[in-house]
Amino acid sequence: MSEPMTIGELLTARGISRRSLLKYTAYLASTLALPPMASRAMAEALASTRRQSVIWLSFQECTGCIESLTRTMTPTLEDLIFDMISLDYQEALQAASGEAAEEALAKAIEDNKGKFVLVVDGSVSTRDGGVYSTAAGKTNLEVLKEVSAHAAAVLSVGTCAAFGGIPMAQPNPTGAVPVSDIVTHIPVVNIPGCPPIPEVMAGTVAYFVTFGKLPELDHLNRPKMYFGDSIHDRCYRRPFYDKGLFAKSFDDEGARNGWCLYEVGCKGPVTYNACATLKWNAGVSFPIQSGHGCLGCSEPNFWDQGGFYKPLSSWAMGNRALIGGAAAVGVAVGALSAAMARQQRNAAVATATPAKEKQP
Amino acid sequence: MHSESHAQQRTGMAQSVLHEIALALAQLAETGAPNAIDLRSLPMTEADRSELQEALGRGEVSATLDMAGKSDIWETRHAGVWWVRHSGSGDRIASETIEIAAIPDILMAHRDDIRAAAARLSAELAAAAPEPV
Repeated sequence: MSEPMTIGELLTARGISRRSLLKYTAYLASTLALPPMASRAMAEALASTRRQSVIWLSFQECTGCIESLTRTMTPTLEDLIFDMISLDYQEALQAASGEAAEEALAKAIEDNKGKFVLVVDGSVSTRDGGVYSTAAGKTNLEVLKEVSAHAAAVLSVGTCAAFGGIPMAQPNPTGAVPVSDIVTHIPVVNIPGCPPIPEVMAGTVAYFVTFGKLPELDHLNRPKMYFGDSIHDRCYRRPFYDKGLFAKSFDDEGARNGWCLYEVGCKGPVTYNACATLKWNAGVSFPIQSGHGCLGCSEPNFWDQGGFYKPLSSWAMGNRALIGGAAAVGVAVGALSAAMARQQRNAAVATATPAKEKQP
Repeated sequence: MHSESHAQQRTGMAQSVLHEIALALAQLAETGAPNAIDLRSLPMTEADRSELQEALGRGEVSATLDMAGKSDIWETRHAGVWWVRHSGSGDRIASETIEIAAIPDILMAHRDDIRAAAARLSAELAAAAPEPV
């Protein structure tokens, strides 16, 4: 339910000082790559707005996305996001169940018609009318159409909602599609990742609440501030790639020396996400730092791309001749396979979503 | 480990930041316009950060703020140049900036908090006042 109080009044009533809010916006400005001087204006803007109503629907998913968001390791600071929004419906977190839960959803929609943000995790089953995933006797497909009709915007959280994800993997028995195949009348922002980085989810929501508009998006409708650089661009192992120093297997000398994981299947060059900078588990590490290549989990079709441990060059356009060449001409091969993979990915998206109307 | 050796390398970034600070400080002196530099957005190694911290030194003022995790703020040996480090729980650094200002915004009490405090203090005194005889 929306509250008449502004966020500032709400914080004051809870004994949370404006310094806390200013600290939060300083942190946000940093993760959003905004100028640090913006934090004061952001704090003032947030204090004078009312909380943003959010309705969260879960479809064909594993609940890993909400786990990621709620298991942030700096709860005292990042939990402030939950003071900025009014999470009016979320099946995994809410106390209500059964008919009471369905009534809560109807009321949340009625109270915030045309104003709430709809967050979706999970892909949407469409085969046989979508009967393969239902809740309260309704298919996900029906619920998505009904609820999104009254939403201001949709945030597709996780690779399943954004691109179809694991449920869409061949042979796609449920006819799973991404949310953007169904919702075409309002903006859909994709926040992919399996799961997405918690700071990326919270930051995107906070941006919308603070500025009252959606952030700038890339060609796959992902916020540019988080998905603007490839993992490879920001990888601390990049200097080894440039020198042509590669691990050839997971226990060889190269692996022990921390060399580039390109030849053991790292998808960093074609994967756009913030793992290499924001990292995971309170900034402790990210897969490449832990010795494993990037799986490319924030990219469309990462699940059907021909093997996590095969070098990019082995499946980019199916040209096996490129394997092994990486060691000699690292940069050139990387740039080439990145370009080819991007082409291939765009083609794959076009095939997967024929009727899609891209939102601005 | 590679990551350790990388962390120990000086990349020259500290010197670049010092020049940026000098420009901003000259501007503050001339026009009073504050500025800030987000250290987290720069590809600085730990060695770069130590170099910058050593170069700026410590001045007369330091403050610890305890809300939503700890924050450490100190004025460097250059008046008007402040190091502002915000941590979340578990002392993870959430943001780190160099603020070039007379005083960092976050140290000042906000007018809404002052208003709320004034009302609360008056109410407390009114509640504690002895009954008129």
